[in-house]
Amino acid sequence: MMKSNIFNVLKKELRETYRDKKSLSMMFIIPLLIPVLVIGMSALFDVQMSKTENTYNKIGFDYAFNEAEKSVAKEMKIDFTYAKVDKLKKLYEEGKIDLYITRENNIYTMHGSDNENTSYALILAESYFEAYKGILENEYLAKNGVDTIEFNNLISVKKDLKTEDNYFANYITNYAFLFIIMAITISATYPATDTTAGEKERGTLETLLTFPIRSKDIIIGKFLSVSLSSIMTGIISLVLTIVSLVIAGNTFELYEGIDMMLPGSSMLFSIIVIIFYSFLISGLCIAIASKCKTFKEAQSALTPLTFISFFPGMIAFMIEVKSSALLSLVPFLNFSLLFTDITNGSVELINILLMIVSTLVVISLVLAIIIRQYKSEKVLFSN
Amino acid sequence: MLKVEDLKKKFIRINKKKQKEEFYADNGISFMANNGEIIGILGPNGAGKTTLLRMIAGILEPTSGKISIDGLNYQENEIDIKKEIAFLSGNTKIYNSLSTYELLNMCCDFYGVDKSIRESKIKSISKILKMEEFLHSRIGNLSTGQTQKVNIARCMIHDPKYYILDEATSGLDIISSQLILDFIKEEKKKGKTILYSTHYMEEAENICDNVVMINKGIVIKTGTPQDIKKETKTTNLRDAFFVLIGGSYDEK
Repeated sequence: MMKSNIFNVLKKELRETYRDKKSLSMMFIIPLLIPVLVIGMSALFDVQMSKTENTYNKIGFDYAFNEAEKSVAKEMKIDFTYAKVDKLKKLYEEGKIDLYITRENNIYTMHGSDNENTSYALILAESYFEAYKGILENEYLAKNGVDTIEFNNLISVKKDLKTEDNYFANYITNYAFLFIIMAITISATYPATDTTAGEKERGTLETLLTFPIRSKDIIIGKFLSVSLSSIMTGIISLVLTIVSLVIAGNTFELYEGIDMMLPGSSMLFSIIVIIFYSFLISGLCIAIASKCKTFKEAQSALTPLTFISFFPGMIAFMIEVKSSALLSLVPFLNFSLLFTDITNGSVELINILLMIVSTLVVISLVLAIIIRQYKSEKVLFSN
Repeated sequence: MLKVEDLKKKFIRINKKKQKEEFYADNGISFMANNGEIIGILGPNGAGKTTLLRMIAGILEPTSGKISIDGLNYQENEIDIKKEIAFLSGNTKIYNSLSTYELLNMCCDFYGVDKSIRESKIKSISKILKMEEFLHSRIGNLSTGQTQKVNIARCMIHDPKYYILDEATSGLDIISSQLILDFIKEEKKKGKTILYSTHYMEEAENICDNVVMINKGIVIKTGTPQDIKKETKTTNLRDAFFVLIGGSYDEK
C-alpha cells in the first residue's frame, strides 16, 4: 500500500511536470547550453592560438638580415620590417608592428610595452634568436674542427607527455562537467518549487492531504519526481557534453592528437555522480521550497543554493584542489572533484563509495526533517 | 458514527504589537453525528469552522481532544479513516493540468478503487453529474460550475461514508450552489453522514437535521433547527445566533 501510494504521488507529480512548459524548458533548454559552451569556448581558444602564431608576428628590425637570419625568420613565419629606430618606434606606437629589435655590435635589444601583442611577439622573437644562435654556434664549432653532430648529441631531451595533459582539453572538459552540475541544479529548482510552494499557492495541497496517504509517501513521491527530472537533465547534459567534446575534438586543431571521447567506465561513473547529485539537490530544494508560502518566495530562497552548488567545484578547479577520501564526504565539493577525476581518468572507487554514503546520510536527514515539517500547519498552510 | 470530544486547536499569531501570542481557533468542541444525518456547523467567519473540519478530515492535527469515526481514531487508523471521508471546501482547488477523467482515475488510485469497476464508476458519476461532454477536457479550461461538478465527482468516486463540506457553496452562483445542495440531499438519501459548515444560516436551516453553532471557537448551541428557534423564541437561525451571543457580534 505504502509503495503504491508513493508510486501514485510520483505518477501525479511527473504528469504535472511534463505538462508544464516551464518545467520542460528548464529540463531540456539548459543542457542545450553545453554544446554552445564547449564548441564556443573551443572555437575561441582555437582562434586565440592561431592568432598567437599568425597575428602577433609583426616584428621590426633596425638592421638588414643576412641570409641565415632571413631563412630563420621565414621559417618562423615572422613578418619582418626593416626601418630606422625612430620609424620603428612610430610603427610600434601605431600598432603596425608588435615588437621591434635594435642591434648594436652583437647586442640585440627587444623593445615594446608589456601588453598581450608584445608578449606573444616576444616569445616568437626569443625562439627566433635561439634558432639563429644555434646556427651561429654550429658554424663556430665547425670552423674550430668540432664535430657538431656529436657535440649536439652530448645530451638528448625527449618529450613524453600524455594526451590528457593538454591544458585546453582539460579546461574545457572540466568546465563542461561543472556545467552539468549547474544544469541539474537549475532543472531541480523549478519542479521542486512547483511541487511544494506552487502546490500550496494553487490550493491543491489541501486536496492532496485529504487523500489516504501518509506525509512520508507524499514527500518521497515528490522527492522521486524531482530527482527523476534532474537525473533526466543530467543524462541529457552528459550526452550533449560527450557529443560536443567529440565534435570539438574533431573540428579544432587545438585538440589535435587528443581523444576527446570518454571511456565507458568514465561514462558509468559520471552517471552515478549525476544520479546522486540529483538526489541531493532535489532533497535540498524540496526542503527549502516546502517552507515557503509562494512560488516567488521559494524561488528567492533557492537562489543561494544555485550558487552554493556551483562555486565549490569552480574554486576547487581553479586552485587545483585534489580529491581525497575526506573531501569525498563533503557535499557539493565531492561531486565536482569526482567529475574532475573522472575526466582525468584517475577516479578512485573508494571516493565514489564515500560520496554515495555521504549523500545518502544527508538525503535521509533532509527527508526526515521535511516529513516532520509536513505535519505542521506552519508549513502546510500559507494562511 | 462520528464523535468529536473536547477538540482544541491552538495557533500562534502575531498581534498588533508584533508579539507572538497563542490563541485557540477551537476551544473544546464536542458533538456527535449519527449515520445518515446532515449536521450543520454554523458560525460567522473566524468562528473556527474551517479549523474544526480540517481536523476532522485529518488535514490538521488537533492540539488536544478526540475524533472518533466508526470507533477509529487518527493516531492509529489515519489511512482507514481517510478512505471513508470526502472533503470539499469552497477553497478546494483541483489539478488544472489534468482532465476530469485523469483526475477521477488518480483519485481511484489513491483510494484503492478496484480497477475492474473504475470505468463503470467514472461513467456512472459523469452521467449523474452530466459531465460526459467535458470528461476528457483539461480542468483548467472548465467553467466554475463544471469545476464544481468535477469536485463533487472527486468526492463521490470512492463512495465515502462521510462528507465534510466546508463553505462549499461560498462564492458560487445560484446554479452551482444548487448543484451542491442537490448533491447533499441525494447523498443523505443513500444514508451518508454529512458535516456541512456554512455562514449562510438560511441554507443550513433548509437541509440540516442538527446544527452545531460555534462562536470564537466555542460551541454555543447544538440541536435541531426547530428546537433552537423554539428555545430562542426566534423564527430563523440567524436571529437565534444573535440571541445566543447576546445581541451583538464582536469580530475580535
